[in-house]
Amino acid sequence: MAREIYAYKCRLCGTLHYPFRMVCKECKQNDFFEFDTVPLPKAGTLVTWTRVYNLPAQYEVATLGLGIVELENGMRMLGQLEISEPELGMAVIGNVEVVRKEPYDDYYGMVFRAA
Amino acid sequence: MRDVYVAGIGITTFTRLEYPLSEIASYASMMALKDAGVTEVDQVYVANMGSPRVNHQTALASAVVDSLSLMPAGAAAIENGPASGASAIKAGFQAVASGMEDVVLVAGVERMREVNNLEATDFVATLTHPLAEYIYGVTLPAHAAMFTRMYMDRYGVTERHLAMVGVKNQNAALNNVWAHLQQEITLEGILDSPEAMTNNPYVAEPLRFFDACPVSDGGAALVLVSEEKARELGRPMIRITGVGQATDTHAVFEREDPTDLLAVRKAAKDAFAMAGLSPSDVDVAELHDAFTILEIVESEEVGFFPKGEGHIALEKGETALGGSIPINVGGGLKGRGHPVGATGVAQAWEIVTQLRGDGEARQVEGARIGFTCNFGGFGNNVVCLTFVRED
Repeated sequence: MAREIYAYKCRLCGTLHYPFRMVCKECKQNDFFEFDTVPLPKAGTLVTWTRVYNLPAQYEVATLGLGIVELENGMRMLGQLEISEPELGMAVIGNVEVVRKEPYDDYYGMVFRAA
Repeated sequence: MRDVYVAGIGITTFTRLEYPLSEIASYASMMALKDAGVTEVDQVYVANMGSPRVNHQTALASAVVDSLSLMPAGAAAIENGPASGASAIKAGFQAVASGMEDVVLVAGVERMREVNNLEATDFVATLTHPLAEYIYGVTLPAHAAMFTRMYMDRYGVTERHLAMVGVKNQNAALNNVWAHLQQEITLEGILDSPEAMTNNPYVAEPLRFFDACPVSDGGAALVLVSEEKARELGRPMIRITGVGQATDTHAVFEREDPTDLLAVRKAAKDAFAMAGLSPSDVDVAELHDAFTILEIVESEEVGFFPKGEGHIALEKGETALGGSIPINVGGGLKGRGHPVGATGVAQAWEIVTQLRGDGEARQVEGARIGFTCNFGGFGNNVVCLTFVRED
């Protein structure tokens, strides 16, 4: 089964949040965990990007592509890029993969490729 | 609310310092206490971002107050990311303004070179959103780079404008003996010559090595006092007239327009409103140029220039010494260095130096009104201050 990253929909006013927060930024009325999870779309367009050369110690790669993507529902997220020549506004498609490895821990996040 | 004055200032050299963290804070504090002419204080605030993680030391304020023999003064450390320094000044301001304390020592300190560069970069990156940013390997240079690319696309900022900020501020540091970088650079050397890509490689495209501040150790300190105490001490009457602080979303991508720094805009607006000043009244400013792009954008968001025109003002020399609004004449974070917890206090140190007329080769003639912007996170926690010389 394909892995997902979730947005959080306020049960009171329907506002979508990503990342998770405890209180809805629109209605500010929530009791604990009054959110439903909704998978984030995987298709979107590239808003900005960078190629990083000095990485934290855990990354055993020469460079790392990072970008902000506007998803097809209008929400944005940050992800890693597997794109050799990124361009602003290009169509991308995401997949949930391991984005950070630490001893005994794999962290999953969105990796975008050209659509 | 009572008026609050800066009666004393102190600073250490910003560089790699082989001294214990608390001694760096104490050295700057001793200078500030001697400058003010006080040996006893009511309260100590120590601004620091990384001591538990980087220096394996907690409860830093207790160490500093002991080192300075200021017992039994109240003492607390304030951690607020790279805005820790001005946040501690705000706390000190509130303590004096409320009437609760008469003399408050505010020290800012960081010793980041105790760990290697990879660990220092990772330490600063821990201020990003843990699940939506940090796990991807985002660093502060990466945030600044992605921000810069959007700004270039929308407003026509180029790598040349960024390099111009770098040259201006790093060379300004040559007039500041406390500054970390003491090496003159030129546009030819870092941008135009065939060697430029070797001298000045990308750290996070489109940002290059000379677009980023150095990783520094250092401390700075202020003594804040009530008006009555300030008159008794007889130092130049430098008053903190405006304090503004604002926050924005933790994750940068979530902002309605990620090229707006709304927390900078609001913190500056509130500081100016409290002071009864407008941006055009400012004679000398310290903006938080951890990356060259930030000086350009902050100069717009705080109100010195319209949005999208900061780089044009830079081209005209308006932000250089002798321009209409000199910015970072002591080198800024780029030239002075950026020991994160110390920076907000060091910005105030520079402004007070200027308003006292002690700026020597970097003095802004006749400066009476100063402004600081201390930028935390990637724009999610910002403190702005205004300073006025009254006598």
